[in-house]
Amino acid sequence: MKKFAFFPGCLIPARHPAMEFAIRETLPKLGIEIVDLEGASCCPDPIYFKSKDKLDWLTVAARNLTLAEDKGLDLFTNCSGCTATLSESYHLLQDDGLRAQVNRRLERIGRKYRGTSRVRHIATVVRDEVGYDAIRDTVVRPLEGLKVAIHYGCHLLKPSRIMKVDNPDNPDVMENLVAALGATPVRHRNWYLCCGKACQTEDLPATMMRDLLTTVRDENADVLGMICPTCFGQFDHGQMKVGKRFGEDFGTPPIYYFQLLAFAQGVPYDDLGFERQRFKPEALKAYEGAGTPA
Amino acid sequence: MENHHEDRDIVRVDFAFRRELAEKIEGNLASFCYQCGACVGDCPANTYSDGIFNPREIMLEVLYGLGDELIGPDSVLWLCTNCYSCHERCPQEVKPVEVIISLKNMLADRGLAPAAAEKVIRTFLTSGRTVPPSPAVDKQRAKFGLPPLPEVPMEEILKILEPDEGGTS
Repeated sequence: MKKFAFFPGCLIPARHPAMEFAIRETLPKLGIEIVDLEGASCCPDPIYFKSKDKLDWLTVAARNLTLAEDKGLDLFTNCSGCTATLSESYHLLQDDGLRAQVNRRLERIGRKYRGTSRVRHIATVVRDEVGYDAIRDTVVRPLEGLKVAIHYGCHLLKPSRIMKVDNPDNPDVMENLVAALGATPVRHRNWYLCCGKACQTEDLPATMMRDLLTTVRDENADVLGMICPTCFGQFDHGQMKVGKRFGEDFGTPPIYYFQLLAFAQGVPYDDLGFERQRFKPEALKAYEGAGTPA
Repeated sequence: MENHHEDRDIVRVDFAFRRELAEKIEGNLASFCYQCGACVGDCPANTYSDGIFNPREIMLEVLYGLGDELIGPDSVLWLCTNCYSCHERCPQEVKPVEVIISLKNMLADRGLAPAAAEKVIRTFLTSGRTVPPSPAVDKQRAKFGLPPLPEVPMEEILKILEPDEGGTS
């Protein structure tokens, strides 16, 4: 088993515990051991907190990184926002001046940032440490014929010099992860577009979402697969709001990748919390009989 | 400074604004901007605001030191979607989004952050999280066999957020 420190962040543990459940269910089957971090706070969030005070933001992020350093482990996140904050902080703290400034603050609580733990997004952990073939080997319900539109989201990919996840102009990690489950990934025309959740106004993201959801609908996909809980909220609750606002029915249910993986590995549909979604991925039910849990 | 709109033929650089911005983390990067506009093409906030939000123009205003165009109530800066495409595209590594966030820090210093941002900060300062813990949250977690949300050691967090001695933040 390969060991990683787990940084669950705020959104998934509090708003989407089904996603955390799915991660804890699927990773051990892929040979990844999860080590929990005691005392972790919000990453802190790369939008609101960072727009208030960058130095405070960097200091809190550095403290979180020291928790993984104490365990001598690299850390993985399950949220693209946490990945953005922590990867960028890791990058910024390579600057000696900034590191010294932050460490003067951490010294007050007996901590010191050393830069010894790397930050990984969970998508890269399964891609690089497990591999697509090994993921396929754990599937008991191949999702053949299931069309999964792909939403990458922004912070998984950009800025690529810092995130180091994939080619931001033509990524393939999400397509390959979905294909490993036997499903068919679909790239819609607005695949590159931002979900808009991190925009600090209302009208602009609503129009943007309408365009995005329209191109998703054009693909007649069964579900819209993603890897970020913020994007997920925008495509579930947000999709309902945008649909009402423009009087349109978009009707593509969002799904967080690790819940899809858990289902493909045999976890019953009813155990995965889908009943709490506004748009439920009911197309999965057709595959329930296809495999029984090992 | 107040008169620069009237003296349209003279650009007066507000150096106090530029110095204040340069003190923010990565706030001084606009100095490397050569106004190529690579940041604009992929900017969704530009597309969906009919061009009202324009990262190249914001960098130009920073270079000119036209702080009062950016630092005020209802600033155009809040239209940014934080998608990081401009950071990706910039050949000079200006990181327009980072300059914009530094400008937002200046807005926050003046009490001009949106109410939603202030709410997130308040939640963080009491719970160490952006989504506060509650019995309802723990009940949901229990349904999935997950333990209650662990507490965040707030005394540590508040200590590292105290302003630096002699510093501004």
